[in-house]
Amino acid sequence: MKWKAIVLPIVVAAALLAVWAGVWATGAFHESAFPSPLAVARGFGEEMRSGRLLNDSITSLFRVVCGFLLAVGVGVPGGLWLGQVLAARLAFLPIINFFRNLSPLAWMPFAILWFGVGDAASIFLIFLSVFFPIVLSTMAAVANIPAVYFRVAEDYGLHGRERLTQVTLPAIMPQVITTLRVTAGLAWLVVVAAEMIAGRDGLGFAVMDSRNGLRTDLLVTAMIAIGLIGIVIDRVLVQLTKIPSVRWGYDR
Amino acid sequence: MFRSTAVKILAGAALLVIVLGVLRYKPWQRRDQPMEAARASLNVGFLPVTCHLTCPVTDFATRTSATTRFESQRFTDFPTIVESIKGGRLEATFMIAPLAMKLREQGVPVKILYLGHRDGSTIMVRSDLPAKDLRDLRGRVFALPSKYSNQNLVLRKLMEDQGVKPDEINFVEMPPPDMPGALASRAIDAYFVGEPHAAKAELDRSGRVLYHAKDIWPQFISCVLVVTENLIREQPEVVRDLVRGIAESGEWAESHRLDAAKVAAPYFRQDESVVRYVLTQPPDRVSYRMLEPTDAEMEQIHRMALKAGILERPIDMKDLIDRSFIPPHIRAAEISVN
Amino acid sequence: MNQLVSLQLKNVSRSFGEVDVLRRISLEISRGEFVAVVGPSGCGKTTLLNLLSGYDRPTSGTIESSGRRRMIYQQDGLFPWLTVNENIGLGLRQLHGEREREGAVTDLLRLIRLEGFERHYPHQLSGGMRQRVELARALAGESDILLMDEPFSALDYLTRMQMRRELARILAERPRTVVLVTHDIEEAAQLADRVVVLSERPAQIRDQLRIAAPRPRNLTDDEVVQAIHRILTVLGIEHEPERATEMERTL
Repeated sequence: MKWKAIVLPIVVAAALLAVWAGVWATGAFHESAFPSPLAVARGFGEEMRSGRLLNDSITSLFRVVCGFLLAVGVGVPGGLWLGQVLAARLAFLPIINFFRNLSPLAWMPFAILWFGVGDAASIFLIFLSVFFPIVLSTMAAVANIPAVYFRVAEDYGLHGRERLTQVTLPAIMPQVITTLRVTAGLAWLVVVAAEMIAGRDGLGFAVMDSRNGLRTDLLVTAMIAIGLIGIVIDRVLVQLTKIPSVRWGYDR
Repeated sequence: MFRSTAVKILAGAALLVIVLGVLRYKPWQRRDQPMEAARASLNVGFLPVTCHLTCPVTDFATRTSATTRFESQRFTDFPTIVESIKGGRLEATFMIAPLAMKLREQGVPVKILYLGHRDGSTIMVRSDLPAKDLRDLRGRVFALPSKYSNQNLVLRKLMEDQGVKPDEINFVEMPPPDMPGALASRAIDAYFVGEPHAAKAELDRSGRVLYHAKDIWPQFISCVLVVTENLIREQPEVVRDLVRGIAESGEWAESHRLDAAKVAAPYFRQDESVVRYVLTQPPDRVSYRMLEPTDAEMEQIHRMALKAGILERPIDMKDLIDRSFIPPHIRAAEISVN
Repeated sequence: MNQLVSLQLKNVSRSFGEVDVLRRISLEISRGEFVAVVGPSGCGKTTLLNLLSGYDRPTSGTIESSGRRRMIYQQDGLFPWLTVNENIGLGLRQLHGEREREGAVTDLLRLIRLEGFERHYPHQLSGGMRQRVELARALAGESDILLMDEPFSALDYLTRMQMRRELARILAERPRTVVLVTHDIEEAAQLADRVVVLSERPAQIRDQLRIAAPRPRNLTDDEVVQAIHRILTVLGIEHEPERATEMERTL
C-alpha cells in the first residue's frame, strides 16, 4: 500500500511533464509563451545558484507565518469569546460577515498607503484574509459543543479557566485544526497575490518580476516553488491532526 | 497531556518565526558595511523598462561613491509607486509625465525635476499584417499600457493627423509585459509601449515596428523624474546629487550602450540581450541626452492630457516643474563595469 | 432528613411558562435503593432527573439529598479528547496523590473489565465499553448517588442486555443509590428494587411497585415478567390479568 502512495504520484507527475514537453515539441506556442521543461530546469538552476529562489521562498514563508500566527492568536480567542457570549455575537457577527466578504486584495491600496511596500503590507493582507474565517469557524465550533460536555464538566467540578482549557478548547480543536489547514492554504494564495502588487521580494514578486522581465521560464520556476511549498505547508499542518487527543474529530 | 502538546506547538511556532525572521533579515550581513550609516541614502523608484535605465545605472554608480547612495527600488506598476508616494514611503521616483500632473492635480506635492529619457517607445504591429499606418488598423485591437500614459496622448494626436476617429480603433489597456505574448497569440493586433516590451516582439519575430516614437514626435517624452517637495525642502543637496547622478549616468549610457545593458539587465532582471537590442537597434531608439524639460513640450503634454480628459482642470505648470537642480555641465559618469 | 434516606422530594412541581411538566411529586429514596422511573415519552422523566441532580430547581416543593450525586447521560458523556484513564480520572479529582489515583483507576478498570484499554480513546471503544467507562467514572471517588438518564438506550439489544447484567454485578460490588430514568420497561423490571410509573404530562406518580427478587435477575423470571405486565397495564398498554391467563391456557 505504502509504495503506491509514493510511486503513483510520481507516475502522474512524470506523465504531466511528458505532456508539457510534448506540447512544447509541437511548436504550437512560441518559446516565450510556452517554455520548455529544459528551459525551466535551467531557470531553476539559475535561480537556485543566485540564491534568489531561496530568498524569495523564505520571504514569502516569513510573511505567511507571521500573518497567519497573528490571525490565529487573535482569531481563536476572539471566536471563543463570540461563541460563549451571545451579546458579543449579536454585536459583532454582522460586521465580521461584512469584512469576511471583502476580498483581502481590495485592501491592497490601503495596505501600501499605511504600511508601505514590504513585509508589513503583506502580513496585514494575510491577517485580513485569514482572521475572519478563523473567528467565524472557532465561534461556530464553540456554539456546536454538545451541551452534555458542559453538564459533565459541571458534575466533575470543572469551572472557569479549567472548563476553558479542559473542555471548551479540546472540544473545538478538531474543527479549529481543519480551519487552520484551509486558511493556511488561503494565506499562501494571498501572499503570492499580495506580493505580485505590493512586494519587492517574495515568490509573488518573483512571478510578477519574471513577467516584467519577459522570462516565462523563471515564471514557471516560481510557480513550481509556490505549489511545492503549498504542499509542504499542508503536510505540516496535517501533523496536527495526528495528535492523539484530537483524533476523535476525524476518526468517527 | 493536552497542555504539554499545546506548549510544544506554541514553542514550535515561535521557533519557526524566529528562524524565518533570521533567515529573512540576515542580521549578520548588516555588519559587513559599517560605512553605510555614514552616508546619506535615498530610495528611487523605477520600473524595469529601458525608459528608467538611468535609475539603476545611478544606483550602480553610487554603490561606492563618497556622496549620497541612491538605491534603486524596483516596482512592478505605477499604482503601487503612487500609493508609496502618498503613504510617504517613497520620495523620488521615475513615472509617466501625465501621472505626475494627475498627482499634482490631486494636491500631492510633487515636482518634476528632470526627464528620464527621450524616445524609447515603439508602436508594434503583428508581422503578418500589411499595415503601413494607423488607417490600416481601423477595426483592429490596439493595446496601450494605461490611459495616463504619454503613448495614449501621442497616439491620439497621430490618429487626428491621419484622420482616424477615436472609436475606429478598438483600444484595450494591458500591462506591458503581457503585450508581446498577446501579439504573438493574435489576441491584439498592435500595441504602443515603452521598451523593451516592443523589442521583445521584434526579437520573437511575432511583430514588426510600425513607428518609433521619434517618427511621430521627435524627442518623445514618456517618463520624468519626480520628487516630493518635502525632500526638496529637507535635503536639497541630496536632490542635487540625484539629478546630477541621473544626468551623468545618462551621458555615460549614451556612449557606453553595451556596458549600460550589462549594468541594467540584472536590476531589471531581464535578459541582457533584449536590453542590448533596445539600446543598439538602432542606437537612437532611446536617448538619455537633453533631459531638461522645456516649458513648451511640458505644456503640450499638459494640453493633451486636458483634452484627453486625464486632467479635469488645468494645473499650474510652474509649480510642477523645477529645473533648478539640473547641473550646468554634464559629463559622463565614471563607471567601470566588472 | 433521616440518615437512611438519600433523596427526598416533597410536593415537587416544575413548570416551564404555561406548561406544567411535573405536578406534586413526592418520593423518598432510601440509601442503597435502586429506583427506576418509567413513563410515556415526553412525560418529564428527564426534568425529574435534572431536579434530582440539582441542575434544575423546582417551581414549588422541596428536594433534599445527602451524598455526592453523579449523572450518567443518554448520549456519550465521555470526553472524546481524554483516554479511558483520563476520563475515569475526572471522577477522582478530589483524591490527592498520583499513586492513590492510579490505584483507584486500576481498580475501576478491573471492575468494568476493561484492563488494557486505559490508553484508548472513547472513539476506539464499542458503545457498551463506553457506557462501562462512564459507569466507572461515575462510581469513582466514592460518589453516593447515581442518576442515570436512559444510559443504555443507544446500545443494540444484546449489548443492552449484557449491560444490565454488568450494572447489577458492579452494583453488587459497589453499592450505590441509583435513580434510573428509562422508557425501557424490561430494564426497569430487571434492575430496580422499586419502579415508579409516571403519568402523561403533567406527570404525577401513577403507581409504584416493589420487586423484591435479588439481582441479577433473568428477563424471563416470573417476578420480572409480572412486573413488566403490571407496568404495562398501568400504562394502559396490556389487558387485565384474566385474559393473559386465558391465553396461557390456550397455549
